[in-house]
Amino acid sequence: MISEFLNMNGYGLYVWSSFSIVLISCAAVYLRTRKTLRKYEQEFLKELQSLSQEEQSKAVATSKIAQQILATNTKTN
Amino acid sequence: MLKFLSPSNVYSFIQSLIKFINSIFFLILLIGLTFALILSPPDFIQGDSVRIMYVHVPSAWIGLLCFSVITLLSILNFIFKIKNFYLINKSIAPIGLLFTSLAIITGSLWGQPTWGTWWAWDARLTSMLVLMFFYILYILCFKFIKTDEATVKWSSIVAIIGSINLPIIKYSVDWWNTLHQPASIKLTGSSSIHSSMLMPLLVMLLVFLLYAALIFLMKYKTEIIRIKKKNIKKT
Repeated sequence: MISEFLNMNGYGLYVWSSFSIVLISCAAVYLRTRKTLRKYEQEFLKELQSLSQEEQSKAVATSKIAQQILATNTKTN
Repeated sequence: MLKFLSPSNVYSFIQSLIKFINSIFFLILLIGLTFALILSPPDFIQGDSVRIMYVHVPSAWIGLLCFSVITLLSILNFIFKIKNFYLINKSIAPIGLLFTSLAIITGSLWGQPTWGTWWAWDARLTSMLVLMFFYILYILCFKFIKTDEATVKWSSIVAIIGSINLPIIKYSVDWWNTLHQPASIKLTGSSSIHSSMLMPLLVMLLVFLLYAALIFLMKYKTEIIRIKKKNIKKT
């Protein structure tokens, strides 16, 4: 029954190749996008931490995004 | 204008949306795949090869949708100079390229068992290939043009010229005698696809749309952080 399902009446090669290509490329794009996002978040955090205490407080106070990234990082740590 | 859409305001909303999509995505994907590969019936003529439709058609639709959005936002950006649209377009373009390429590849894999050939210089196939080249050209504008102003200008020109191809893709099967079948699903008028196949197709379309939204949000978030990182010392 499983081999029948995999064979798909002789069209298995085409059907499974299509689904596999779509799933693999979508997974690859997802992982790459997530990696880039994390890289930028870390770089932003490093940049923020390299500032003096006063500059850092000012940046956090004025930027909602800095607050968010700092909050996310605190949670994950 | 459109201040509520500014990156700072939408940032936390993006985060919540990403979490929401992540939480429901795999369940809907599982339902979609079960319908597409197991529950939907084989076609009377094409047999089980028709199952390729469940990945081919949503890919093609999203490829077209992304370019339509890019064109619309490029025109609006030209008129209103809203920088946010530029960031949105930059985030959408790779998704459009991915889905257009997938539509061409899966179409080729569907063409071999049904038409007996991987590729034909058919009007629909060729116009989709042209769309893929426009996507590549559009993305190259962001890679190789240095200043933001020039990038906006040239990418918008590419998008507007490329948009001429969109109606050609849509109506190619009506205007020319093509190997590709005419549209089975119509927004106006009755569709010629049976509900047992339409339902899985719509579920798979939802899966693809959620995936596209997820990638878009992650890319848009990356763009926002990249810009904020540049400005962090200025604040």
